[in-house]
Amino acid sequence: MSLDLSKLIGQIVDLAASLKSKAGERQTKLDFALKTLKSLAADLNALKQKVEESKTTWLVPGLKENIDLGQTAPHCPDDFIVLASDGSHIDVDRHQSAHCFLINIGIAQLQYGRNPDAQLLNFPYLYFKDGEVAITSADGRQMPIEGQLLGIKRGIEECRWLAERIKELDVDLPLVALLDGSLILWRLAEQVYPDFVVRELLVDGFLKYLGQLEELNRRRRLAVASYISFPRSTEVVNLLRLAICPHLPVDCDRYCSGKFEGRECDVVGGLLDRDLFARLLAPGQRSALFSSRSSVVAKYYGANEVNFFYVRLDGEVARVEVPLWVAEDEKLVGLVHSAILDQCRRGLGYPVALSEAHEQAVVNFADREQFWELVNQILVEDGIFLENSAKSESKRARWI
Amino acid sequence: MDIEQIKNQKPKVKDGNGSKIGEVIEAGSAEFTAQCYKLDQAPPLGSLVKTQDKLGEIYGVVYNVETHSLEPGRRVVARGENMEAEEEIFAANPQLSRLLTTDFRVLVVGHVEGKSWHHYLPPKSASIHSFVYTCRLEEVRAFTQTLDFLSLIVNARIPVPVDEVAGACLRYASRAHRDPNAFLVKAGKELACMLSRDVNRLNSLLKRLK
Repeated sequence: MSLDLSKLIGQIVDLAASLKSKAGERQTKLDFALKTLKSLAADLNALKQKVEESKTTWLVPGLKENIDLGQTAPHCPDDFIVLASDGSHIDVDRHQSAHCFLINIGIAQLQYGRNPDAQLLNFPYLYFKDGEVAITSADGRQMPIEGQLLGIKRGIEECRWLAERIKELDVDLPLVALLDGSLILWRLAEQVYPDFVVRELLVDGFLKYLGQLEELNRRRRLAVASYISFPRSTEVVNLLRLAICPHLPVDCDRYCSGKFEGRECDVVGGLLDRDLFARLLAPGQRSALFSSRSSVVAKYYGANEVNFFYVRLDGEVARVEVPLWVAEDEKLVGLVHSAILDQCRRGLGYPVALSEAHEQAVVNFADREQFWELVNQILVEDGIFLENSAKSESKRARWI
Repeated sequence: MDIEQIKNQKPKVKDGNGSKIGEVIEAGSAEFTAQCYKLDQAPPLGSLVKTQDKLGEIYGVVYNVETHSLEPGRRVVARGENMEAEEEIFAANPQLSRLLTTDFRVLVVGHVEGKSWHHYLPPKSASIHSFVYTCRLEEVRAFTQTLDFLSLIVNARIPVPVDEVAGACLRYASRAHRDPNAFLVKAGKELACMLSRDVNRLNSLLKRLK
């Protein structure tokens, strides 16, 4: 039975009315937030000190530049390369007889300037060996790689392939390496995973490959960045919450424990960072650089501490994250900024290299079906008895 | 000239012929489709191409050329509004050359088996992934010494106007002969025999031989 849309129409109309009624309130909040932000810029040191002294339940960023900065991009190099990677996966299916998963990494390498060139590649890899489908601790505990953990594993592979590809590049041109999504592995920070899993995936995985990229930067002009379209982050808005707070030093647990509305800082509640910067920045400008003060970054990232800025494009405000070694090099920040603007211009609003990497990586529903059919076919040819679940067969047959 | 001599001749750079241009990606008894190695580098409409495998060589006439997205779901969009030359579009978007492809469809008009030319369909279709080559002028001249293959074109059911293909093929082949006009006159007579019951079509086709 397909979804009965006729039963939903009334609810969708209510949704639209609800959004409309909040628009005015949101505008008032935004005006106040911008006024506050500009007033804070007058005394940045006082704000920094307040941040350092505060104990907030909100995630507040570190300040690297003046909060109301609107920086125009430098000139984009005439000759440069953008290398992007993206991935997709087919998760373990417990209704299938073979326990395995697949990660498909797409790479787009686009060279601009006097010798324009493109390489579009994909690297599918099937994981099925004992040491590949689970993470094992020194004392023998095992965590199967599937579901959310497979998503994290995929992100690490994206970073690994980016580093591998750059090692093979023999063209000596400025290079911007792009990843899709955040450099902060938030899900690992949720503390649902044991330490050996975090170490394997983050310290010996993602951060190791980010470290390799930093190493490669010493040999050539290389900037690494991740791109987040339509970001929902609120760190800069949280900074405004902190600035507005009348309690000194700010201490959420002490003054506002258990309160979820009616607090002084709720005058900017519900706003997103992108709302602020859509008003503050002119098209093409980037915001100030901020540093992430999330616990996972503080605990593990070190020289790869995640910094970020927002950039206003024609259609949206995007968030760009860079590791510390990029953030501390003004020229590399400029290279990332100008290359992303250029990529979005060429890509009709979204970085074309990321878009093409995605196209190389994407595994659609039909691909999944064909993949499992091929797996089963080869298993049968090899005389392996298939044990498919009754549920799986039922979904396939769809009898009446 | 002996067939072996023709086949063993190295491609002449001056002619630009005899080079490997693509690969068979679909094959049937009467036609095949080849994908070009380079975008927009298909042989011209009506030109003679060949593919070969262990059994011999299959000759065909290009009857349709298409450039399109490699992936069916991705549409090509216009990009050059603010550019002065079309080349700038490809320089600014280097990925395009990897995302677009040029295919050409070929009507099979003959084959070589052993040392003999046959101007009719081969016993076996072209092999998938076999290479496709343009034909050198000597080869075109040799193949078109007889015009028995013309009936395969004139009677073909293809999704492009078949007489346009026949005309293009004969004009193209005439340039390989020492006396192009004499070749076209000979071809016209052959067509007159084939289309004697359809004078309108014959007249229309003959106009395409100029």
